Amino acid sequence: MSAGIVLQAKGLTKEFRGFKAVDDVDLSVERGSIHALIGPNGAGKTTCFNLLTRFLPLTRGSILFNGRDISALSAAHVARLGLVRSFQISSTFPQLSCIENVAIALQARGGNSFNFWSSERRLDGDLPRARELVDMVGLGAFADVAAGDLPYGRKRALEIATTLALEPEVMLLDEPMAGMAHGDIDQIVALIQKIRVGRTILMVEHNLHVVAELSDRITVLTRGQVLVEGSYQEISRHPAVIEAYMGGVDA
Amino acid sequence: MATLFGIPLAALSGQLLLGLINGAFYAILSLGLALIFGMLNIINFAHGAQFMMGAFVAWLSLTYLGLGYWWALLLAPLVVGIVGIIIERTMLCRLYKLDHLYGLLFTFGISLLIEGFFRQLYGVSGMPYAVPEILTGGLDLGILYAPIYRLWVVAASVVVCIGVWLAVDKTRLGAYLRAATENPTLVRTFGINVPVLITLTYGIGVALAGFAGVLAAPIYSVNPLMGSNLIIVVFAVVVIGGMGSILGSVVTGFGLGILEGLTKVIYPEASSTVIFLVMAFVLLVKPAGLFGKETGGAAQADNGHARSERGNLKTLGIPLAVLLAVFAVAPFAVYPIFLMKALCFAMFACAFNLMIGYGGLLSFGHAAFFGMASYISAYTAKQWGFNPELSILAAALVSGGLGAAIGGLAIRRQGIYFSMITLALAQMVYFFCLQAPFTNGEDGIQSVPRGHLFGLIDLSSDMTMYYFVLAMFALVYLAIVRIVHSPFGRVLSAVKGNEPRAVSLGYEANRYKFMLFVFSATLAGVAGATKALALQLASLTDVFWSMSGEVVLMSLIGGLGTLLGPVVGAFFITGLQNYLAQFGAWVTIIQGLVFIICVLVFRRGIVGEIQGWSSDLMKRSGKLNAGASHGESKLSTPPA
Ligand SMILES: Nc1ncnc2c1ncn2[C@@H]1O[C@H](COP(=O)(O)OP(=O)(O)O)[C@@H](O)[C@H]1O
Ligand SMILES: [Mg+2]
Repeated sequence: MSAGIVLQAKGLTKEFRGFKAVDDVDLSVERGSIHALIGPNGAGKTTCFNLLTRFLPLTRGSILFNGRDISALSAAHVARLGLVRSFQISSTFPQLSCIENVAIALQARGGNSFNFWSSERRLDGDLPRARELVDMVGLGAFADVAAGDLPYGRKRALEIATTLALEPEVMLLDEPMAGMAHGDIDQIVALIQKIRVGRTILMVEHNLHVVAELSDRITVLTRGQVLVEGSYQEISRHPAVIEAYMGGVDA
Repeated sequence: MATLFGIPLAALSGQLLLGLINGAFYAILSLGLALIFGMLNIINFAHGAQFMMGAFVAWLSLTYLGLGYWWALLLAPLVVGIVGIIIERTMLCRLYKLDHLYGLLFTFGISLLIEGFFRQLYGVSGMPYAVPEILTGGLDLGILYAPIYRLWVVAASVVVCIGVWLAVDKTRLGAYLRAATENPTLVRTFGINVPVLITLTYGIGVALAGFAGVLAAPIYSVNPLMGSNLIIVVFAVVVIGGMGSILGSVVTGFGLGILEGLTKVIYPEASSTVIFLVMAFVLLVKPAGLFGKETGGAAQADNGHARSERGNLKTLGIPLAVLLAVFAVAPFAVYPIFLMKALCFAMFACAFNLMIGYGGLLSFGHAAFFGMASYISAYTAKQWGFNPELSILAAALVSGGLGAAIGGLAIRRQGIYFSMITLALAQMVYFFCLQAPFTNGEDGIQSVPRGHLFGLIDLSSDMTMYYFVLAMFALVYLAIVRIVHSPFGRVLSAVKGNEPRAVSLGYEANRYKFMLFVFSATLAGVAGATKALALQLASLTDVFWSMSGEVVLMSLIGGLGTLLGPVVGAFFITGLQNYLAQFGAWVTIIQGLVFIICVLVFRRGIVGEIQGWSSDLMKRSGKLNAGASHGESKLSTPPA
């Protein structure tokens, strides 16, 4: 494998009782790039993410992260190695405040997590950094609001802040902008531009303007298989893509 | 005499036939459970009680109406089914939108109610029920003499199981059912009359239990307790088989019955635990069960908004100080023995609540830790002359170890399965205690010496002992506060709030759950050990499943997930028991009712309700601060 590849999947396959949701997918993600995974609903994008992050067991195939085979590791282990995902449905700790949500992620890096004998005040040292991250995604005014009470778009922003707290080498974002208003989308796009420095991002996104603007490379998935891969210009000229995916979209 | 591997063939085949009969009951009951689970997503804890009810309908209709066995075979499923339908329509149907654990708690309450009712009316001695005339006698099959009735039971249950399987597999109604078992959410969106389908399924499921009860009546005596031990074994059968397939549950049921029969011949001591051992083994090698489906749900997010109390330490310190002050003067007003008992149960309930309230794990087997520890401390104090602090320490270590073993297995499954597994493994511990010589069987360990604390302070006076118990209580309570408000506790709240997200941040959720389980078991052990010294008795009651149920009830009525709730609940229930002790089975009936009422209308419990009101008041008066807004505590509320 090339030195520039940070994440590589070979022959990735997932069957749900005979139904192949992901079928022999090869994927190489270049270090430092923003790589988009697109395709119609049900194409298997989320399942791919679940496989890459070990949230689902593979039926077949292998996954290399920095050259290391991670296809037998636990999901949490993969996350600790620096391959961190977000979820398609917003996923926060609803009962905790924004600051606390981010602090939980900071704590994961601190190696203090099995400490049951000292006060949680020991973690207060993380608070300035947590506040910084909350501010960075524009949630400063909501810092002490319970995540469960945030409007949808804000939850997505909080998720990004939480994921960022881990300083992951590779971030997997599953439709980070789904269901957002236009103004919010611009904000998240700007945010992603800002946080991409020094890391790799693999994202699922339906909004093709966003995909065109952000991604260096695009993989199109249909019915669990890779249809085509390339730059935005390359794939948008591809007849099968136009037919299978972009037909109904004003691209 | 013919032998096989040195075992007389007649004994072998005799036990095999008995095993087959037990297997028949396992099969019918687990079939009913699987049907109900598929449709309602609820584990019907009352299944054993409904089985017993079927047997009683047979006995009652013979005694009072003169209607014989064949009538009973028709009547009992009908009666049990109709009662089931009434329960489902009036109460159970209100629980579908809640956490599935409430269904388990509710049906547990129903089973206590039914069981207490029959116990109150007919005692526990059991009534004989004659084998119908044409099924008397036996067949000489050469190697064994088989009573015809037993052959009939096996044949009848095979026919019923196949009948149900065909009905589910080949009819239109069955197609809906099957679709619902495979994909409940999809069928709920079909727009076909799903509520009726659900009610029917519950009715038919429990009618099967009633039918099995009639079959069982001539074999076992008709007795109010005949279902409660059986249902725990059936839970284990269900965990082993997995509830994915109807035929699977039937095959597993018969297979395990036969295995149990074989064990009776080869190694009788293990016959009552062999199914639980198989369950433990299956959990190790194929956690989803033999016929279970892979659960692909690991990636779900936003799984309900579970909230638990995480006030700051300042607000927590006040109730504890007030509590201790009240307890310090209490023995001058109230009988100290009662107070000690209630405090021990309060410790036990706090330990239990640590798991449900802060880990979202409902253990139905905590009696194993409480009871085992009470035996260990009683034994070491009496036989080895350990000082009280040493015997409590030894007991806590043993129950912590036991917690590691049971917890390590149970956390391999989630939700309802977790509860069933803890219940089944705890039943194994019960059988161990029943058979092990050091526990003195039915007599228990009596006149346990309280000894001298640190070899210095004589604890034989009730007053001195009381203050020792109070100190232990304070210790356990503070330990729990510390755990909940430690860095570890933070992770727990994250795992409980949204497990997939916690995993995605790098937390191995199961390790945290495992540790929590061990802590909870250890502290439950401290409670049991202290209780054995305070009341100078360790007995089978402490380790029996009903004790596990009681601690659930205490925490539920006090308020799950609140720090103070279990204490309030423990005093409430212990007081109730004291007061009702003279009325026999009424205790069980009332406990059942309390369970039902709590689950239906009072889920936050006493302390939870009070916190809810006070936080509402604060909201209204505008003094709400962010820290106090999380006082609301629920096992889980439906996603918005
Ligand atoms: N846990 C599961 N069990 C069964 N089928 C699943 C599961 N997860 C996803 N699928 C199926 O796999 C296919 C791909 O789903 P998904 O990866 O969510 O698509 P996408 O994210 O591209 O919209 C869909 O047909 C979906 O129904
Ligand atoms: Mg998706």
